[in-house]
Amino acid sequence: MNMTVRDRAETIASLRHIHVRLMETLAAWVPTTPEMEVKLLFGTHIWDMAQHADAFGKRVYELRMPLQYSQKPSEAYSEVLSELAAAKETSRRVAAFYEVVVPALTARFHRYIEQTDSLMDAPSVRILDRALADHARMLREYQEVVQELSIGAEHDWVKQMKAAESAIESFVVHQPSTAAAAAAQV
Amino acid sequence: MQPYEDSFVLRGVRLRNDPARESCFTVAHVHSEMFLSDDSSPESQRDKLHREYNQEVLSLEIAAQTLLEFPDAPWELRLELARQCWDEGRHAALRMQRLRELGGHKGEFPILVQEWNVVCMIDSLLGRLTIQNRVFEAGSLDAMRVAIDWWRSIGDERTAAQMEVILADEVRHVAFANDWVKRLVALNPRGVMAIAAAMNHLAQVNSALAPRPGEVSVEGEPIFDLKRNIPPNMEDRQHAGFTSAEVDAVLRQETVEKGTKA
Repeated sequence: MNMTVRDRAETIASLRHIHVRLMETLAAWVPTTPEMEVKLLFGTHIWDMAQHADAFGKRVYELRMPLQYSQKPSEAYSEVLSELAAAKETSRRVAAFYEVVVPALTARFHRYIEQTDSLMDAPSVRILDRALADHARMLREYQEVVQELSIGAEHDWVKQMKAAESAIESFVVHQPSTAAAAAAQV
Repeated sequence: MQPYEDSFVLRGVRLRNDPARESCFTVAHVHSEMFLSDDSSPESQRDKLHREYNQEVLSLEIAAQTLLEFPDAPWELRLELARQCWDEGRHAALRMQRLRELGGHKGEFPILVQEWNVVCMIDSLLGRLTIQNRVFEAGSLDAMRVAIDWWRSIGDERTAAQMEVILADEVRHVAFANDWVKRLVALNPRGVMAIAAAMNHLAQVNSALAPRPGEVSVEGEPIFDLKRNIPPNMEDRQHAGFTSAEVDAVLRQETVEKGTKA
């Protein structure tokens, strides 16, 4: 697949939006989750999501968009993020975040790396490679906490959420060139 | 100060509702619901670690809530708050690890959540940074220096070494707030009004919730007018970006307090 600079910029700007949203979701969950070990896990991963968002925000500037520019993802993907944010029970929160969203992002990062040119788009690939290593660590940390607390997963709900996420081919809303140019002026 | 809907009134002051806690914890709102723990017995050592564990969790929760409630804050400041969340979580894990090594456990003692109740009632970013980071966390720089010496004096080098690491991180949390308060006020001088409102809120809360004559701790020790001598940690305060004038003011205040006691 031939990706243009604009295609890459819009994808990375969408990833920035998603990661800021995930950072905020975890931040909302920290004071409202009673289990201390889970609270600390979320606190740790707020910093991971923030660092990823920051790296994406710097990369979009290199791709001719404003520094730390975010682009809203598709409606369908936004709904997945909203459903995630609305989860109240700890079991749903951890299952949705660590069994649906993070693994799905891992898969999407791999697909992007496969599709892009690893030399032309090397800075994006480098950022995603580092984020993938973080995902693996985050999932290990999640497993440690889950084993300690024996939190039960809600299989049907998780299955539905996985299905909704995987049905979305791309979360990027490609903008007409004039709209993108105007956005880049903001 | 706009009252948040999720708030309650205690002794005439409005406070933010408690953060979520597991049922193993007894949540306290005033000092008379806490142990005094003023000696070096094993129980008192565990209570100190348990308190500090809770304190780190509260700092994590306040940083997270501030990150959430001020989405328009400059991105670099949001990054600092996100980093603080990680730091405070690690500090809490360190405290719990040490507590368990000393035979303690989660929920062994009552926990005070007043800091969250007070800080998260403040509706401005400048007010939160001022009270949480420049007042409470700067105060912890002083208290931690004393505590490190105390743990060493009873031969607990491991706890002292952990606290040295935590203190270094806390200096950064005070420093970024000092930096950002100055930058935000320079951008909008009316921000000083928000700082003044937050300071006023803190003064009202302190006055309302301070121990009253006759009040005692859980173990029955008097707590009214209990003064602990905590000298200011000038080196770390300077490292955290307090100006010479601010450091001098802290020193003058300590001199006045010593004179009052004498």
